[in-house]
Amino acid sequence: MAKEYRSRSLGTALRYKGREGMWTWMLHRATGLGVLLFLIIHVIETGLIVISPEFYDEALLLYKNPFFRIAELLIFFSVLFHAANGLRIVVQDFWPAVMRRQRQLVWAATAVVVIAMIPVTWMMVAPLFGWADEPGTGRHLERCRSATTAPACVLEGSAEAEAL
Amino acid sequence: MSTEESTAGRGEARPGGGYDVPRGGRSNFEVWSWVFMRVSGVILIFLSVYHLVWWNLVVGVEHLDSELVIDRWANPLYRLLNIALLTFAMLHGLNGARYSIEDYVRKPGLQLAVKGVVYTIVIGSLIFGIFALLTFDPSILTNR
Ligand code: HEM
Repeated sequence: MAKEYRSRSLGTALRYKGREGMWTWMLHRATGLGVLLFLIIHVIETGLIVISPEFYDEALLLYKNPFFRIAELLIFFSVLFHAANGLRIVVQDFWPAVMRRQRQLVWAATAVVVIAMIPVTWMMVAPLFGWADEPGTGRHLERCRSATTAPACVLEGSAEAEAL
Repeated sequence: MSTEESTAGRGEARPGGGYDVPRGGRSNFEVWSWVFMRVSGVILIFLSVYHLVWWNLVVGVEHLDSELVIDRWANPLYRLLNIALLTFAMLHGLNGARYSIEDYVRKPGLQLAVKGVVYTIVIGSLIFGIFALLTFDPSILTNR
């Protein structure tokens, strides 16, 4: 029987001084379960739109809270890591010869995620400090020129009115 | 039932994550789960990354509102794409959760109970999501 690599309990998993295989395995699981949890909440909140669009707009206020930006970044990272690491697993499964290059594959997958996260983090965090516009501001202004009554455009108008 | 049996049938875990192809047995359920995880996983890379880039980076969460979503959903093809994202993501996640439960919850009775709760929540929200996408009526935008 092949060597048992799957940890049987969280305790042994945390004590296990594994190399690449173990930490990617744990992170793969953690990100997968995290995204599933978010997805359940997300689908319920999105489904509200057929019940009442107004209710949906209320729920969106939670997304627009600056603290939620951190959660968004985490979701983005989780999806990218799970995707890149998952693809590595699939490549190894269907092409066993590359198993000898596993360490390099792990670092390649990690590098893709880290490099992609640099501009993503900038785009999502910089606006909080006023260092850059929110993503999509150009499109938004364009849209609000004709759709003046759209909830996102009205909301902005009132915020500006308050600031004046 | 011994603790070994509750994960019996699943392929051997690999050092780098992932599992060998299960040997199959009386039923091929584990073989098909293994195949499904790989096929749906690759499809989900495209669907979910597109979704994240579109809503977070192109539209921007700050500018999101019900009208944008209703505009998008007015296109039946887009709703079909969403049904694909929803179904693949939920079933992929559900099977992943099953792997975790079988690994960590070893007592057969408790395992069954935890599975019952998790399956109900995941399948319940999947059905609700499909219901929303299928019963959506684009005229709610003009009726307001
Ligand atoms: C913070 C990141 C996210 C944002 C801002 C976001 C935004 C949205 C928006 C605006 C909608 C409604 C419009 C549409 O159907 O496209 C939606 C629906 C949906 N999203 Fe996301 N999304 C995010 C992450 C995710 C992730 C990671 C997944 C899957 C793994 C996902 C899966 C879905 C599904 C399945 C629907 C349709 C739900 C239904 O109709 O019941 N989303 N999302």
